[in-house]
Amino acid sequence: MPVVLARVDDRLIHGQVTVGWSERLRPDHIILASNEIAADPWQSRVYASSVPPSIEVSVLSLARAAAMLRGGEVQAARTIVLTATPAEMFDLAHLGAPLPSVNIGGMHFGAGKVEMLPFVFIDRIDLEAMRRLLAAGLELFAQQVPGGREHAVGLEQLAAMEPRL
Amino acid sequence: MIRCLVITHGNIGMELVRVTGLILGPVEGLAAMTNSGKSLPDLKAEIAAWLEEGAAAGSPGGLIMVDDYGGSCATAAQLACGHEGGRAIISGVNLAMLLGFLTWRDNDEFDELVSRIVRKGREAITLVGGR
Repeated sequence: MPVVLARVDDRLIHGQVTVGWSERLRPDHIILASNEIAADPWQSRVYASSVPPSIEVSVLSLARAAAMLRGGEVQAARTIVLTATPAEMFDLAHLGAPLPSVNIGGMHFGAGKVEMLPFVFIDRIDLEAMRRLLAAGLELFAQQVPGGREHAVGLEQLAAMEPRL
Repeated sequence: MIRCLVITHGNIGMELVRVTGLILGPVEGLAAMTNSGKSLPDLKAEIAAWLEEGAAAGSPGGLIMVDDYGGSCATAAQLACGHEGGRAIISGVNLAMLLGFLTWRDNDEFDELVSRIVRKGREAITLVGGR
């Protein structure tokens, strides 16, 4: 079983992932893909320590994460892949990571970000990255937790956001 | 004075601090923060600002209590505290821990205070009756 959830969430590893989605999807492995965090062993340990011992965790650069996801070892495990931004998720897809669809799970408010949904705030860089993900043939859906409302994110929704950014 | 910051999901921390004040009266150096609506970098920056505020007032370091091990509050607190000494993060905050903190903070050394609060928090979780 390959990737069971590819999620964009700026909190990365936290309760919605390690409890909410993991209770539902029963992953064997969580891959946190971030060049910044993977380059810092201490930060990597902080994030990894939040994962229950029953789930394997890897904190990897985007290139290493994509390589691992292309390989047979991870193909055999139920895997959740996390990035903090849509642009990083696009990089993973562009590097050949096989992703089923992309869950927009949490993009909190920050400078220059505009509300698309109560848990999704985006800027122009995010918008363009989401467009590239759609152009790559990936379906996007915004949903915080299993059982929560699922919102489709397509070209129409992104076009509606554009004048506000 | 040793300061304490309670960081939780929703308004749990704010209510814990408010109720602590109802029991012991107004207290200094005890604050609450929520993670609601905040990205991890923003939450980390707010915690760092609380630590800097204490350092500027002559109380470097401090104790941070979070609601859940492995959540964004705990992760942000760890990232904000870094490797500095005199800082501790305890998960599973409850009322008994806050009351213990305020009772002991003026007399205990920091490490002993942290240990006593962890013990107190665990002791407070017990089967009271009704079985």
